[in-house]
Amino acid sequence: MKHSLILVLKNQSIAVERFLRVVRHRGFDLTHFQLNMDDGQYNVAMTVDSDKPIHLLTSQLNKLVDVKEVNLQNLQQQVV
Amino acid sequence: MTGAELTIDLLSKHGVKDVFGYPGGAIMPIYDALYDSSIKHYLARHEQGAGFAAVGFARSTGKLGVCFATSGPGATNLITSLADAMMDSVPLLAITGQVPTAAIGSDAFQEIDILGMSLSCTKHSYMVERAEDLAEILQEAMHLAQSGRPGPVLVDIPKDIQMAQVPFKPWLAADEYLPELDLNQVAIANQLLSEAKQPVAYVGGGVQAADAQDELMQFLNKTQMPAVATLKALGSVLPDYEHYLGMLGMHGGQAANIAVQECDVLVCIGARFDDRVTGNLAKFAAKAKVIHLDIDAAEVGKRKPAKASLIADLKTSLPALECFVTPKAWCDVNKEMMVKHAWRYDYPGEKVYAPYLLSQLSERMPKTGVVCCDVGQHQMWVAQHMKFSHPTNHLSSGGAGTMGFGLPAAIGAQVARPNDFVITVSGDGSIMMNIQELATIRRNNLPVKILILDNQRLGMVRQWQELFFEGRYSETNLSDNPDFVQLAAVFGIPGQTVTHANQVDDAITALVNSKGPYIVHACIDNKANVWPLVPPGAANDEMITEKAK
Repeated sequence: MKHSLILVLKNQSIAVERFLRVVRHRGFDLTHFQLNMDDGQYNVAMTVDSDKPIHLLTSQLNKLVDVKEVNLQNLQQQVV
Repeated sequence: MTGAELTIDLLSKHGVKDVFGYPGGAIMPIYDALYDSSIKHYLARHEQGAGFAAVGFARSTGKLGVCFATSGPGATNLITSLADAMMDSVPLLAITGQVPTAAIGSDAFQEIDILGMSLSCTKHSYMVERAEDLAEILQEAMHLAQSGRPGPVLVDIPKDIQMAQVPFKPWLAADEYLPELDLNQVAIANQLLSEAKQPVAYVGGGVQAADAQDELMQFLNKTQMPAVATLKALGSVLPDYEHYLGMLGMHGGQAANIAVQECDVLVCIGARFDDRVTGNLAKFAAKAKVIHLDIDAAEVGKRKPAKASLIADLKTSLPALECFVTPKAWCDVNKEMMVKHAWRYDYPGEKVYAPYLLSQLSERMPKTGVVCCDVGQHQMWVAQHMKFSHPTNHLSSGGAGTMGFGLPAAIGAQVARPNDFVITVSGDGSIMMNIQELATIRRNNLPVKILILDNQRLGMVRQWQELFFEGRYSETNLSDNPDFVQLAAVFGIPGQTVTHANQVDDAITALVNSKGPYIVHACIDNKANVWPLVPPGAANDEMITEKAK
């Protein structure tokens, strides 16, 4: 099942590596990824695909010190 | 003040008195600053030994453990101890030297991207890119390692930043985000408890991390609830608690495993449904409604859904539970099971019987003593047959299962608690993984005791080869081991070898009474297995026992 997420990260280059490692390790495939630097922080929009419940990923991302916000989007609404 | 001097100064201000490490080129300025400081440095003989000594220090006290290593291989040698600390939620600060900033990315001598390597085995990690950030990063790192769910934090400091003049910026820790207890969830939990006929408390390592043994025992004493413990939680439930059923899981006791399988409400207190605990997850406590208490929201629902989740410090969440008294009939059933499945020590023959040796050691060593295990059969025998009155008295590599943990962890525990009896219980496989740390014991005259249970095999692997690989004993024969007593003697550590059951009591006397370090090398049956055993893929009530086998 696909899920769309919006993340806000600290503007440290390691932050991107750190959260992408978690996405892979927790069993989610990246199908879309967009990163912008804005207002001194990274804004990430991404879509992941997995048969695992999405809370298993969001709860892990929320623990990362570099991750300031994790917002789960409703993919159907976004596509429409 | 240089970056190196600031680093030592901040550690000292934070209360750090002991660090473990190994110097090298890229961390020389920090070692130079250390030379004049009041911090005592313990030179390990391998960086992994330094890392595990810091882990042992942290786990035996609940305080921050600190280790140093140089760049490149010095830093990579810390990785296993960082991973171990990550899996077992240990507050650890690793400071590594790095090649100068200008050389980073040039494949310089001893340049390895330790920041990149640290991502999967630390709670957080930094490379200091600007001298003016050093003070804030170090202070934040120490705070992070110990806050919330503790864990290892790495700070990689390039050599030029260690040598630069740096400003000191006092850094005030932001108010720690601690989740507020959800009163709706508390109400659901209390409703479940009030309806429970067969509740069980499943106690995990979180009790030690939260320093919540008092709150746990208050909850248990009021509810009279049968309790089981994970490997990491041993010592959290006081051994004389009337309804304590011991360790659960793959090598847990039958009474503990059966109680969990039969329970209708499972109160998970700072545990994470590890696969070695649950066996076949779909069949684990299948009739139970779960109440999950944890400070880490990511653990709730990760492996097993919870009907009520109390995401908070256990010191807050445990007292929020109302204490309904457990039905006596359920308590009586479990007491009968404990009697029926009690450990037996009437082993026939003249060979040393490891469970008996360990139960006797447990009886005769000081109750405030610390036991540091390695990994394998001996680790499970310690968990089964020794009693602990506090989780900081039993150090065992739980999540990572790292062979070589025991000896350096004992060094850290002995440094942290110089007046306590500290012993490492190891196997003939594990002890060789960090045997060089005998030199650290000797160098610092640490009175660490060592017990090696020697079956001339990689015992746990051999056991699985016997049971599940048709007796094809691939690379598990260690009959070419060195003479361990002679080996220890080379490091100036006295000891004795024990080959017969009738020598066990005298050997324990020598261990317990020795003022300095001492080694007992106990030769055990190379066919001895750990029982009971939940086979892979089976449910926890489908245990193989020695008789059944």
